[in-house]
Amino acid sequence: MTAYIARRLLLLIPTALGIVVLTFGLLLLIPGDPAAVLLGENSTPESIARLRQSLGLDDPWYIRLWDYFRALLTGDMGTSIFQGQPVTEIVFGRLGATFELAIVSLILSVIIGMTLGVLAAMKQGSLIDSAAMLFAQLGISMPIYWLGLLLMLAFAVILGWLPAIGRGEPLPEAIAAALSGRPQVLMDSLSHLVLPALALAANTAAIISRLVRTSMLEVLREDFVRTAYAKGLRRPRVVIRHALRNALLPVISVIGLRFGALLGGAVLVESIFAWPGLGQLTITAISQRDLPLIQGIILTFAIIYALVNLVVDLLYAAVDPRVRLG
Amino acid sequence: MQRLTRASGWGEAMRVPAILRNSSLVLGAVITLFIVFCALFAPYIATYGVNEMDMRNRFAGPSLQHWLGTDNFGRDLWSRLVFGARVSLSVGLISVGGAALIGTTVGLVAGYLRGWVDLLLMRITDIFLGFPAIVLALALIAVLGPGIFNISLALIAVFWTEYARVVRSTTLVLREQNYVQAAQALGASPLRIIFREILPNALGPIIVLASLGLGTAIIAESALSFLGFGLPPPTPTWGWTLAYGTRFIRDEPWLSIISGATIMITVLGFNLFGDGLRDILDPRQLTRSAGKK
Amino acid sequence: MKTFLLTLGTVAALALMPMQPAMAQSNDTLVVGVDVDAGTLDPRLARDTTAYRANDLIYSGLVHLTPNLEAVPDLAESWESPDPTTFIFKLRDGLTFSDGSPLTADDVVFTYETMTDPDFNSPIRSLYSPITKIEKMDDRTVKFSLSEPYAPLLSYLDIGIVPKKLVEGGRDIAAEPVGAGPMKFAEWKRGSEIVLEANPGFWGGEPTMKKVTLKLIPDNSARAQAFEAGDLNVIQSPLSPQDINRLAADDRFGNVIIPGLAVTYLNFNAGDPLLADPKMRQAFAMLVDQETIVNDIYQGADAIANAAILPSSWAYSADIKQPAFDVEGAKAKFAELGWTDSNGDGILDKDGAPLTVTIATHSEDPNRIQAVEYIQAIFTQAGIDAKTQLSDWPSFSTGYVLKGEHQIALLGWVNIVDPDRLLFSQLTTGGGRNWGGYSNPQVDELLQTGRSSLDTADRIAAYQAAATTIAEEVPYYIISYQGYQMFYDKDLPVKVEATPRGNLRGLIGLKSD
Repeated sequence: MTAYIARRLLLLIPTALGIVVLTFGLLLLIPGDPAAVLLGENSTPESIARLRQSLGLDDPWYIRLWDYFRALLTGDMGTSIFQGQPVTEIVFGRLGATFELAIVSLILSVIIGMTLGVLAAMKQGSLIDSAAMLFAQLGISMPIYWLGLLLMLAFAVILGWLPAIGRGEPLPEAIAAALSGRPQVLMDSLSHLVLPALALAANTAAIISRLVRTSMLEVLREDFVRTAYAKGLRRPRVVIRHALRNALLPVISVIGLRFGALLGGAVLVESIFAWPGLGQLTITAISQRDLPLIQGIILTFAIIYALVNLVVDLLYAAVDPRVRLG
Repeated sequence: MQRLTRASGWGEAMRVPAILRNSSLVLGAVITLFIVFCALFAPYIATYGVNEMDMRNRFAGPSLQHWLGTDNFGRDLWSRLVFGARVSLSVGLISVGGAALIGTTVGLVAGYLRGWVDLLLMRITDIFLGFPAIVLALALIAVLGPGIFNISLALIAVFWTEYARVVRSTTLVLREQNYVQAAQALGASPLRIIFREILPNALGPIIVLASLGLGTAIIAESALSFLGFGLPPPTPTWGWTLAYGTRFIRDEPWLSIISGATIMITVLGFNLFGDGLRDILDPRQLTRSAGKK
Repeated sequence: MKTFLLTLGTVAALALMPMQPAMAQSNDTLVVGVDVDAGTLDPRLARDTTAYRANDLIYSGLVHLTPNLEAVPDLAESWESPDPTTFIFKLRDGLTFSDGSPLTADDVVFTYETMTDPDFNSPIRSLYSPITKIEKMDDRTVKFSLSEPYAPLLSYLDIGIVPKKLVEGGRDIAAEPVGAGPMKFAEWKRGSEIVLEANPGFWGGEPTMKKVTLKLIPDNSARAQAFEAGDLNVIQSPLSPQDINRLAADDRFGNVIIPGLAVTYLNFNAGDPLLADPKMRQAFAMLVDQETIVNDIYQGADAIANAAILPSSWAYSADIKQPAFDVEGAKAKFAELGWTDSNGDGILDKDGAPLTVTIATHSEDPNRIQAVEYIQAIFTQAGIDAKTQLSDWPSFSTGYVLKGEHQIALLGWVNIVDPDRLLFSQLTTGGGRNWGGYSNPQVDELLQTGRSSLDTADRIAAYQAAATTIAEEVPYYIISYQGYQMFYDKDLPVKVEATPRGNLRGLIGLKSD
């Protein structure tokens, strides 16, 4: 087990190196000069050249790459060209918001997906089944930014039930506030979370609902379930005890597979809902050609993705005794 | 197995109720055929010139003259969407075809040769997989410049890993089969074994992945347009129509709804079709291999 | 099963529960929507509108620009100019920064010396290039020496004065600014909001508004929606034209719709072989349907432009005319220059080569994209093989236009507080921002006169003459004068006074000024 984890973490190193090199190569080729963007409308060729030099942009690429790697070893991802702050600081400052959004939307998609999936499986072939599966198909087929804008239009602008944009207090702080007798802080945070989390959840919820339905059907057909019925166990208990556990397995593996997609989707959803997370920062960093910041964000995304998948694999092995780690 | 063995059901997830199964295949096929028909015969189906503007008649609702109304330049929306099908399908086909080709090759080679080749190829796959997809696509388009082929290329870079992983795990199973062992014993060359014995048997999951991938590619193209990285105007793309539509969503929701629904229905068609294919192409074997990684 | 349904039910109830708009909006709090996050709050290095607007509140400059762009005393109570190349400023008595430390001539000298130091890389350094020396005469007096008379100087001296001691002591005012403005910095949640509080020590007295929050919402339409949903008290340009018309008709909101300080224009690359001849540029310019672009695409939020001088400027003249929209006239002009459809393929050609041109803009602004798409359509109708090119701002600007690789590019200039700011470095020979390589010695001389003459009548004559030549030779074709729009909650407890620069001092209830 420990050996397996160590091996996976070790494999992460060449992957991370590869991602740094790939990003570096892309950023070398990408048109647009951060120095010129930074100096803006009043720049002159001379002032641009001066700034490029002081930013070290004119050094040969191998020196820049080498410097980057050396700094990386000490945990230093460089300094943002535009904000003048260390990239690690900026990225960690945004990480919480993105995690909050991703995790809440994962929870939402598991709840919605499992509810629909279980309903559909138990009423297999009924109208409910068809409706749930049609819903699932639509969830997969909708462009996420379109869904986000429609949700905002309906619930924030026309109905006015929820705030259109922004974020309340971070969830941990908001929960602490609620516990100390100020529930409105938590309500405010949640009200900001609902729409972006829903927009981000739709896709994953749809996939989970189909997975759950299929694996439930499979279990319900199996002998031991029939035996359980024969023994006189009531249906809901059978479902909960056997079918759901079986359905949990694919759900766990989907969480790992979908996490990357969620982080990617966050780029669009965060931009639309002005959610101050890494996704929004990504768009800003690209639009400014803030090279060290882009590097840092991509590397962070990649490491998170790898770690989440490792955790999911471990979780999977823990839930399903048939799975060997090796 | 090199890595974790999982009995997940990606494939199974895509299965639909038995009652719907046949009807969904039919519905999917009908939608798909209709879109292909529109793309092929766009000049004959379109009722107006695709770039014919009428600034005095912007955002007109559906009427006998303009079946689906007009867009923000007063262009006939039906004609724009019909021609847009060409762009969406081209991007979809090129990117899915390219991704399948590259991914399959990588997967076959890695799975058959195993050893250090496998290790290396899978690390490369991991690198691309760990790279946030949308950033990779945006950066590539910024480097290459927009264009149907370049956008497809950016999407290939995002999509190929899925094929590589699925084909690799299928290959790992197939290479232990008796007929492959027999071919090896008879002294067939690795190339021959890969392409004659393994590939035909691995085609099922590839075809299913591809049909589902078409929908993903079309949505991805529209998202790129939304972010301003799509094809340059006045190319009639669904992505642009929807991107413009979202700008006017508050006052002229029609444009956004029609173009969004067009994308949604098309993707739905591809997905239903893919589901149906999956059921025909031996779902058992498929889901087992597709789920492992 | 039940548990799941229950959980779903709770979530649904939560989602559907009517909730008050989330902001706790007490009456003396102003929440303003902004479109970009600030990069740095050091006024010497600031480069985005959000930073300008925050800094305008946090800091004070020697002068303050009124909505009519007149320079009025701010930190300086008076100034004099004994000769055209010398300005002497007298500071108010007893000025302090918001941390209580005194503000003296040392701080003024420090601010301008650093800003004009090439190694400091200030983005606005070029605006101060004629300044040769900044001297402290006494604690309350500063002298500026210039290399040549420089008329626009005063309008550029509103840059905030930074505290020398703090900065030299290592305080990072880019992240935690300290100034002598009406508000002081409280908090900056990057990517989300900047919070300011009233500064009781402001020389002009504490403002009515006790708190100002600049809330970041990058998307124009989303920002308008948030304003309508009650999350914001104030929004301002840039806004989508369709939102402007809807908000203007909504009687819950007050509005200010005035001409701005910006233009949208076509940059014709005079260095491109196809466009080197002014007559070619004229012919293309005749195909720009200004009226439709301004009235339909921009829905009247901007105004049709007639020359390279803003209508709000003292130098403006309505008599200068750019080439008028005339498709037939343009075709005739092309024919005159040898471009005819000789092979009958619908595209003009000359010496066997088709007339091909690329119109480019950046992908962030949907209105500009629409304008380019529309211009492309008319070019095509006139028999030109016209292409469009779109890329994001860095690729478009620094990777393309700045390198002079464009043919026709649609872009804009902002902050035109003086005609000099739109013309001098853009259209003089070898000017730092003359990306199209336009060169006309006569224009060079006129623009030089406009910048160095201190006699307003002379300046007016020079700028009008230059604008006339520019309108004829079309290195720039000014499509529109951008409008400035601001919408605000009618319940604000202050008298709203807007400025076309979008600064916010007129919204916080200042007692004087």
